[in-house]
This record gives sequence, structure tokens and C-alpha cells, in this order.
Amino acid sequence: MGIHKEQSTLVIGGGAAGIEAARILGQAGYPVVLVEKSNWLGGVLNQLASSFPRWEDPAQFVEPRVKELEKCAAVKVLLESVVSGCQKTENGYRVQIKNNHGAVEELQAGAVIIATGFDLMDLSGYGEYGHGAFPNVLNSLEFEAVLKEWSAGQKPQKAPVVAFFKCVGSRDRAKGYPYCSKICCMYTAKQAGLVKDLLPDAKSYVFYMDYRASGKEYEEFVRSVIEDKHVRYVRGRPAKVLPEDGRLLIRCEDTLMGVPVEVRADYIVLAAAIRPSQGTAEMAEMFGLHTDPYGFIEPEPFEPVKVQERVFLAGSCGFAVETLGALQQGAAAAAQAMAVLNQAD
Amino acid sequence: MNATTSPVNQYFKALQLDETDHSLSQELLQNCGIEIERCLECGKCSGGCSNAHIFDFTPRKIVQMIKVGDEERLLHMDALWCCVACQLCVDRCPSGIDIARIMDYLRERAVARGIPATRPTVELFHNLMLDQVHKIGRVSELYLILNYNLKSGQYLNNAELGPQMFIKGKLNPFPARVKKMDKVRRLFHKKPGQKGEVK
Amino acid sequence: MNVAYFPGCSLHSMAHEYDLSTRLVCKHLNINLKEIEDWNCCGATAAHSVDHALAVGLSARNLSIVQQMNLDRVTAVCAGCFNRLKTASHEIRNNPRMQADVKEMLQTEAPVKPEVQHLLQLLVEETGLDAIGQKVVKPLKGLRLAAYYGCLLTRPRQIVEFDDAEQPVSLDNLLRTLGAETVTWGHKAECCGGGYAASDTGIVLDLGGQVLKSARQAGAEAIVVACPMCQSNLDMRQKAMGLNFRMPIIYFTQLMGLALGYKAGQLGINKLFNSPIPLLKSKGLA
Repeated sequence: MGIHKEQSTLVIGGGAAGIEAARILGQAGYPVVLVEKSNWLGGVLNQLASSFPRWEDPAQFVEPRVKELEKCAAVKVLLESVVSGCQKTENGYRVQIKNNHGAVEELQAGAVIIATGFDLMDLSGYGEYGHGAFPNVLNSLEFEAVLKEWSAGQKPQKAPVVAFFKCVGSRDRAKGYPYCSKICCMYTAKQAGLVKDLLPDAKSYVFYMDYRASGKEYEEFVRSVIEDKHVRYVRGRPAKVLPEDGRLLIRCEDTLMGVPVEVRADYIVLAAAIRPSQGTAEMAEMFGLHTDPYGFIEPEPFEPVKVQERVFLAGSCGFAVETLGALQQGAAAAAQAMAVLNQAD
Repeated sequence: MNATTSPVNQYFKALQLDETDHSLSQELLQNCGIEIERCLECGKCSGGCSNAHIFDFTPRKIVQMIKVGDEERLLHMDALWCCVACQLCVDRCPSGIDIARIMDYLRERAVARGIPATRPTVELFHNLMLDQVHKIGRVSELYLILNYNLKSGQYLNNAELGPQMFIKGKLNPFPARVKKMDKVRRLFHKKPGQKGEVK
Repeated sequence: MNVAYFPGCSLHSMAHEYDLSTRLVCKHLNINLKEIEDWNCCGATAAHSVDHALAVGLSARNLSIVQQMNLDRVTAVCAGCFNRLKTASHEIRNNPRMQADVKEMLQTEAPVKPEVQHLLQLLVEETGLDAIGQKVVKPLKGLRLAAYYGCLLTRPRQIVEFDDAEQPVSLDNLLRTLGAETVTWGHKAECCGGGYAASDTGIVLDLGGQVLKSARQAGAEAIVVACPMCQSNLDMRQKAMGLNFRMPIIYFTQLMGLALGYKAGQLGINKLFNSPIPLLKSKGLA
């Protein structure tokens, strides 16, 4: 049995999952090429103002990891690059990697880890909320940028009312997707709580059908947002946003009271459904990967991360997952890659 | 009247879940293609309902009452008679439940059972309109309004608009009629305002 | 283009000016409207409220006459009539039991062929805004309008299949093609109170009042409508709603007529309660 350490592993996507996979492989001395289309590593983590369940700053996590990858001899990071082509070979894939100057390099990879992540759903089908029509109606990532501004000291003069709508596009068989996007209950609690931390006079409302806090310390996190930070949770899926005197009037039902309710907000944050990213769709097509009806990459039956021979997934390209899950999958994919690179001839 | 028969206590008596009457849900499925179990109880229907603020039961509650089989309360609702059929609930429901159709179904059932409308003027207006359609196949607004005012005892209802409408030639006292009235009357399997179940 | 035309009951009386302007505009744009021979009332709110089978039957008869006229398309200018026709058509096509019932009621094959389109839809989707733009001789410059779709023009989306249900743009785009400016406002597709004008006027005063206030707040000088019910609810009761800003409520075909070069008198603009004439004069449009 030969240990084919000289065969490279290609990791596509430099977010949480991709970084973790590359890191583990690199630590074990396996050559890794990490391809990332933007010019930074960390993916969505760089857009986040805080994290759940421990309110940690994601930058504190990303920076040391990136340094570790830079120092690791086995790891080669190609930023501003994409996989532009691939051909199946006897022991892996020959891939073409193109950078933003148009230069193409070839790589023979014995294992491929897809970690291309997610996008938020396009909200133009939800005209009742006015995203794109009225100002200050934002999706959750757009609002994360506002939170970063407020954290950096650029706070609004008047304490705002911020309303969070969950399940926009998720759990919606009529014009969205039937599935639950898993992470929104947690990140919404985080965003709503952070508003109160940054602007103590502000008001946060979270409009929910349920709150799903199934993870270690998750339930306690949401309870503390409600009980300690005094974020107000209202059970009801809002029906309509009406612009009024420069603010946004929300019409909803408090289903637990069974009465219509109204509130005027300055910002509305929509937890848009998690969708496979454009990159995920492209890689699925390029490598001929099995996807589910929604475009998420499907692993083989009973396999946690193996998609097909020598191809593994990690992170939200397989389905919505939070940072911890992405890291776990990244590590699992790395282990599987090492296994395949060591298999008997 | 004692504690157990007073209406207040009746209302708060515990619902016996295993005695739920599913017949209404079944009918809605068979006759209207509506699957009531798809309701997520999210309240988006109620939240956007044009008249939720005057309904005795909001749309979500109405669907919930179907789930628990409370047909009696459903047929006696005031909501049946002030729903504007705007379709906002239908269009926004994430499960695509046709609540407007449910309202129509319940209302038709209530009429068939002889349950008087909580807003008699609304029922009267519908019947008078359909009466005209039964007679001449079209509706003359002038005659409809006059007839309605007469029969509802609101003789001066909208009277302030009359003169202006007349001056502007908006009142047509000579409505055209449909020629092939036999074809139109065939469409009526019951007369307007007729009570009793019709198969 | 030959199109079957369903005027609906109010166009022969209270909304006569809507019929006038519609016919003028269609003729100008080479849309040959052929009024459905011996058409019957669509049943409006009354039929579907108390007699579902009748509601479908009434529309089915009209559709079947269209089919007999050998026309593949029928248009209506009342959002209510349009919605009834379209809903019936949808049910007849997709529900085999209803299809059989209709066949029995009409004593002829079920009318599955004709397409149903509101005139606004036909103009935008078939004629095209470019073609209309080319015929504009008097751009409605300076007019700031609230395009009002009401609730039934775009809902339910699976049945109506026209524009966006919540943030529709077709009427806004048409008005801009005619040279006017349109406002962004929240009530563009909310309900005016529909058929309750006589039987429970309070509902119309409430809902219609909300629409008027919203348009006013958004800076609109007039509201443009595509339904005679919406028109009368918003036009005739402003005083009763406690509103004194006299907002004109204009049929979109009347504005089209003006832009295409017709005079206000030809389009029945004088028949509207809150006269748009002072507003139009102030912009040099009448």
C-alpha cells in the first residue's frame, strides 16, 4: 500500500469549511491547493459582526487560521481564482484553475473537496415586504454590514426600531422552498440581541413561527436574548410592510393572542432562505455531481460527506449549516480525502 | 343556568381532541381540493387580511377551527359576512391554502342551513343582485340600488350621490337584457336566497 | 388583433366613461374589440359568495360564447369581471368534475380554449409599451400619479398569472410610457372595499380611505385605476371618508386617450366626481 502523499487535494472554496479541510490536510503533510474566488479567506465569516452561541468575533477565529495556512508548507492558497475546467483521470481529476488575470494553471488532484457555500435567496418574489422597493428593508447579510458599522462606532442618531422576519422563503411551498434553513433562528437571535447591546435604547422585534435552537448552548442563547437583552418575540409571520412617513409599518398577527398587531420599524431584516451558491451550481455541473431538487450537493446514501469517488463536500453547499457544522464537515472531508489518497492500489 | 351550562363555561370547556369531527376537512379536500393540514399556523393570512381588525375570528383562527372541527361556530361567524374576498390571504399563504374559497364554502353552507347572516344587508344585496341576473341576465345598478334601499329599509342610503350621478349620466334606466335567458336560468340550480341543502 | 370584449354590467351605466375611453383607445391601437354577443353578468361578488356553481356557470357561458365566436382571447377592463372569468377558466381547465358540470349546464363543450386577459395585461404583454409609446402625441408631462391595481388584478398569482402580486409595475410602466411620473406607495395592491359600497358602506370608507391617504402621503396628484368598482369606491365617497383633498381617480384608458391625442370630453373625463380637469389644465394637458 502506497501513501500517495504527493497527490494533491483540491479544496474549492475558502470559507469556514474549506479552510478547515485545508488546515487538517496541511497539518498531516498532504499537499493541498485551496482555490478561492474572492481575494480573502474566511467567506461569509468576514461579513459577520458576531457569532452564536458565544458572541465571539469571527475575525478572532479566521485570522489565526489564515496565518496557519500561510505558514504551512503543504498548503498553496490561490486567491481570486476559480476552477475553470476538469477532466476525470485514472486516479483523480485534472483541473484547470484560472485566476483573475486569465492565467490558467493545471493541477492533478487525487481528491476534491467542494466547499463553495451558499447564497441568500433572491427576495424579489416577496414584494409584500418591499425588499428592493422600500429603503431599509434588508436581508440578513445586508444587515450584518449595518451591525458592523454600528459596532465600529457609526451609530444612528435616533435609537431605531429593528424588526426581524424569520422564514422568508423557507418553509414556504407556495413561492419559496419547503425546507427550513436551519441557521436563521440562531443568527436572528444574535442580530436582535446585538442591536440591543450596541444601542441600548433601540427596540428589537423578532417575528417568528418557531424558534429552532437545537445545538449546544443554543437554547440558553435564545432565552438570554429574550430575557436578558429584552428582545421582543412575536409569534406570527408578517403579512405586509407599508411605507409610512419615512418608516415602515408592519402588519402581522400575534397568533398566540389571536389579534392583529402593527408596529412601525426603521429597519426590517429578512432572514432569507439559504440557497446553494452560484459556485456550488457551477461545480456540481462541472464535476457531474448529484444534487437534490434545490441544487444542494447530495452525498451518497449513508455517506456523511462523500459525493462520488474522490469527491467530497463540506459546508453549506450540501445544505444550510452553521459555522461549527461547516468546520466539522471540513474535518470529515479532509479525513476522507486522506483515506482515499491512501487506499490500496 | 348553572356553572356547567353557562355560555362562558361552554366556551372554555376543554376540547376533546379524540372527538374531533373531521367531516368538514374531508369535504374541503374532496370538493375544493384544500388540504387543511398544510396550514403552518403562521398567521400570515390574518396579518394581511383587509378586514382582520373587524373580524370576530381571524383567518388563521378560521382554519384552526376547521382543524378542530368546530363547524357550528364557523357557520355563525360574522367574518363570513364582511370578508371582502380580496385574495390577499390566498396569495400570501406559504402553504397555498385557498382561504377565500373556504369562506365562500362556509357561507354557502350557512345559507343552505338557514342560518341568518349576521349582516343581513350584505346577504340581501347578494340575493337582489342574483335576482336581477336570474330575471334579465345583467345587473342594472340603478334598479339594484333602489330595490336594495327599499327592501333594506335604508331608503336614503347613498342618496346624496344620486343627483351627481344623474347629472353625469351615470344612471342608465334602460338596461339591456340577455336574449337567451333560458340559457342563463339553466345555470341556477337554486333560486337566489333559497334555503335548504341542494345536491 | 381581434379580441372578444366583456364589458361587464357597470360599463353600461355607472362606468360608461370607462367603456368609451376603452373603445377609443383600442381602436387607435388596432385592437379590434368584439363585444361578446348576448353576454351575461359575471356574477361579481354575489355569485361566488353564495353559489359557487353559479359563479363558474355564469363565466363559463361567456367563455363558451367567445369560443363559438372563434376568438382565442377575451379581455375585460373590470378587475372583478376579469378575475371571475379567469378563475372560472382556471377551474374548468383543471378540475375534471367542474368541467363535466359546466358541460351539463351549458349543454355544449366546456370552454377551455379562450385565454382571459385584463386589458392592461393585453396592452403590456401583446401590444407592447414600445408600440404604445410611439403613438403618444401629448406626453402627460408633470403629472404625478399613483398607479392603483387593487387586489384582484394580480391575485391569486397562480390563477391570474399577471405582473407581480405585491409590487406590480405594469400600470406604472404604462403611465411612464405615456410621459407621467409615478410614485412609490404601499397601498398600490391593497383592497378598496370591493362590492360593499351599498351593503356595508363602512368597509369601503375604511379600506378605501386607507388607500386614498396612502396615495396622498406618497405625493400623488391623482390615482389611476383599472376597475370601475375601485374607481367609484375611491372617487365618490371622499367626503364621507372625511377627506377633503379631492383626489381625482382616473381610468387608465382615459389617460391613455389623452396621451394619444383625444380630448377630455371624448373620454368622459367630465363624468368623474372629483374632476381631474383643474389638475390637467394646470399641466397644460386639457
